[in-house]
Amino acid sequence: MSRVGEARRREAGLMAGFSTGLSLWGDRHFKWLLLAPGIGLILALSVYPLLFSLWVSFVNYDFQIPGHAFVGLKNFSQVVLDPVARWSLVLTVMLSAANVTLEFALGLSLALAMVRPFPGRSLVMSILIIPLFISPVIVGQVWALLLQRPFGPTNYLLGLLLRREVTIGWLSESPWVYFALILSDVWQWTPFMFVILLAGLTSIPPNLYEASELDGIGGWLAFRLITLPLLAPMITLAITFRLLDAIRLFDTIFIMTAGGPGTKTYTSSFYLYTVGFTQFHLSQATAGSWILLVLTAALVSFLVRRLLKAEAV
Amino acid sequence: MADVRIRGLHKWFGAFHAVRGIDLDIADGDFTVLVGPSGCGKSTLLRTIAGLEDISEGEIFIGDEIVNDMRPRDRDVAMVFQDYALYPHMTVEKNIGFGLRARKMAKSEIDDRVNRASAMLGIAQLYGRFPRQLSGGQRQRVAIGRAIVREPRIFLFDEPLSNLDAQLRDEMRWEIKRLHRAISTTMIYVTHDQIEAMTLADRIVLMREGRIEQVGTPAELFERPISRFVAGFLGSPKMSFLPGRVVGFEGVAALAIDGAEFPLPLPPAHAARVSTAGARVLLGLRPEHVVRAQGASPGEGMIRLDARVELLQPTGSRTFATFRIGSASALAELQAHDVSNPGETIQLDANLNRASLFDAETELALLS
Amino acid sequence: MSQGAIAGRSGTSPKRRRRRRRPGKGRFVLLGVFLIFLLAPLYWMFITSIKPSDDYLAVPPVWFPSRPTLVHYSAALFAYRGLQGIENSLIISISATALSAFVGTLMAYSFARFETGGKHLSFWVLSQRFLPPIAIVLPVFLIYRTVGLNDTRFGLVIAYTVFTLPVTVWMMFAYFKGVPRSMEDAALVDGCTRWEAFWRVAVPLAAPGIIAAAVFAFIACWTEFFFALVLTSRTAFTLPTVFRAFLGFQGAQYGEASALAVVSLAPSIALGVLAQRHLVRGLTLGAVRG
Repeated sequence: MSRVGEARRREAGLMAGFSTGLSLWGDRHFKWLLLAPGIGLILALSVYPLLFSLWVSFVNYDFQIPGHAFVGLKNFSQVVLDPVARWSLVLTVMLSAANVTLEFALGLSLALAMVRPFPGRSLVMSILIIPLFISPVIVGQVWALLLQRPFGPTNYLLGLLLRREVTIGWLSESPWVYFALILSDVWQWTPFMFVILLAGLTSIPPNLYEASELDGIGGWLAFRLITLPLLAPMITLAITFRLLDAIRLFDTIFIMTAGGPGTKTYTSSFYLYTVGFTQFHLSQATAGSWILLVLTAALVSFLVRRLLKAEAV
Repeated sequence: MADVRIRGLHKWFGAFHAVRGIDLDIADGDFTVLVGPSGCGKSTLLRTIAGLEDISEGEIFIGDEIVNDMRPRDRDVAMVFQDYALYPHMTVEKNIGFGLRARKMAKSEIDDRVNRASAMLGIAQLYGRFPRQLSGGQRQRVAIGRAIVREPRIFLFDEPLSNLDAQLRDEMRWEIKRLHRAISTTMIYVTHDQIEAMTLADRIVLMREGRIEQVGTPAELFERPISRFVAGFLGSPKMSFLPGRVVGFEGVAALAIDGAEFPLPLPPAHAARVSTAGARVLLGLRPEHVVRAQGASPGEGMIRLDARVELLQPTGSRTFATFRIGSASALAELQAHDVSNPGETIQLDANLNRASLFDAETELALLS
Repeated sequence: MSQGAIAGRSGTSPKRRRRRRRPGKGRFVLLGVFLIFLLAPLYWMFITSIKPSDDYLAVPPVWFPSRPTLVHYSAALFAYRGLQGIENSLIISISATALSAFVGTLMAYSFARFETGGKHLSFWVLSQRFLPPIAIVLPVFLIYRTVGLNDTRFGLVIAYTVFTLPVTVWMMFAYFKGVPRSMEDAALVDGCTRWEAFWRVAVPLAAPGIIAAAVFAFIACWTEFFFALVLTSRTAFTLPTVFRAFLGFQGAQYGEASALAVVSLAPSIALGVLAQRHLVRGLTLGAVRG
């Protein structure tokens, strides 16, 4: 046996031993190793930025002025005292409530209409879900085109309908702007509600309705006593998800009204964007975004707790 | 080929104590069946032997090695699962050879083993098919084939026949028994079906609530059960249990069955076991030991009863009749051609020599 | 309208039977109206994109142009750099989707099979989805500025990966829960390490779920605006951000805006229609029992 051969065999044995050892270690810590990349990404791009922004909100962070002096709660109070900030919160709540309610009502009606098969149903299905895959910016753009004044089709058609000239500034006059924003949101997100509620409806076993018919219950009563209770978890799910998305309203505002007229259509996200990236009052913006974060977290935990309770049934 | 030794095994799932202190020796080459009602811990025990579950306390030896911390792949065991667990995205041939390819065996060797196993199980013609194209019985054969090619030192079976219909189950039972005779490797087999246990096992391990109730050959468990649970679990239809008290009767130890008019005199063998007069006991009678009266008088240790037939259950070759002794129900086994009707009173001979006696409180058998 | 759709078939009294026949039509009216509501804006956008510019000032509005033109498309794609936006969006979306699918599947497997970190860790990961974007994008902008990741494709890719991770994990978690463990157990006993059992058995089995999750992630990245608005400008800008160039239009950019919208919509709609089957499962996985 040559020395080289021996050395190579020993090395192979060591390598094999090393790789087996590595494999054993990997197996033992497998479940944590699987999580490592994801947790790492979340720590780097979510946890760390949030902590950083918390720091920024307590100092005077300015590109021009060097050094970041600690200013206590000054940034927070600036936000809280800003009437635009307060209005943006109110508007966010009102718009979200209006949007979610309308989308729910329409979505449920559509789901009920689609529950039973009919010829062409899958084609209708495909069309109904199209808005979900469109960028909200584009939705805003499309509705801006529709609603524009003076050459848009909406005012013209309304004029035909009402038999007099219609010159509504949908994107520039209050309260019409609110209708415009609600219209575009409902257009895009009603299908979301529709899909979830339809899934819930189709999961109700049909023999429940058959049994109830034998008992003499049909129509509206069956809807109230069978459909609604069994649909409740899905309703909670749909409303929870939609609401938590609705409060972020930004893209359509940006494209359709740019917050106007004045600051009348500033939602919270748009307000903070303006403060942070138009005025570059970064400390104020981060302070405001932390307030928004806390409020959102409270809402999330409330809604999710209700959601989990509903599913436990 | 290896033996298995288990010492002081405990397994907790959170707060649930699934396996409560198991000590077990499984001899090399034996076919051991772990049987018991749902939730008794038999599957958990099997999975700890395979290494699919960690153990909370205790030791497991395979051969002479302690395998507690060994990964499944290093234990050299093979397992057949209840839902076959075939890889849907691989053909039958690839399924069978998967373990060998994972261990980087030479292709010629792999092909050789796969062919031999397929021939043994009669599945060679299924090579190119996918699991979804196979019937339940074929899938189970492929699963067994996958285990065989590994030539492991232990085979583990986790309720492999539970998903098959009754007829297929009978067929596969014989296949598995033949397999054991052919390759005589240690096999550990989990089932809830006592018929499988009785027909397949060299030794039965009857489990209840995480503990071993009794270990022994099928005959031992059947004829000398150590508790009411064992006696009631094995045998179909079940043993009848009649509660009563020990009394003296005409100078002989006898049993006063609750609600019965006359006490039943105990054969000498039994009489020797009951020490205290007035002790509450359970009399265990298997249906096959209660038959139609024959001859002028009952034999030694047999009791003649007038029984009013309550219910009849014909099974083709035999008919089981439910009747009452005192306030308790019991089953008698009649011949099919022995025509009786519900409501009729017939004469039966109960063979008390073959009966079992259990302490009413501890439910343990009173054995000499 | 609703009662007819869900209550059973045979009525008893003539009155009940009559009540049920009308609702049958009601739902078609509703569906018809809503379909028009959905399609009309899309139609208007489409014809705006092919109208010559003079037609914009026409009263009454032109419902179908007599001289359709494609001039706005080339303006949108080239003068307004829409084509580069498409290129960036494609590269960024595909990269982020691939990363998100890979990392997300790993995490979901760990949660589904091992319950790693208990309920709290998985809940924390899933709840990332509900963070207000403004709260994240502000500091990330500042951080990126410092490390030079602003206006880079890479910077947006990793931001999008984290952004789509919760939904990917949610979908794959529900999917793995629905797949029985026994095949992975069999692989472990057969001779695989945990990684091999995962990669060679569990992942191929989960392929439909991974594809569905990838489609969702891709659409989320393709349509995302806010992060791209803040984190990109001249170099790495994505397709949705090109629309800010059309802001404050006073008539000149209607055509380009709608042309670009049509171009952006095509892959969205195509993917959406293909993913329709998985859409319901994706949105409701784990929540629907039976």
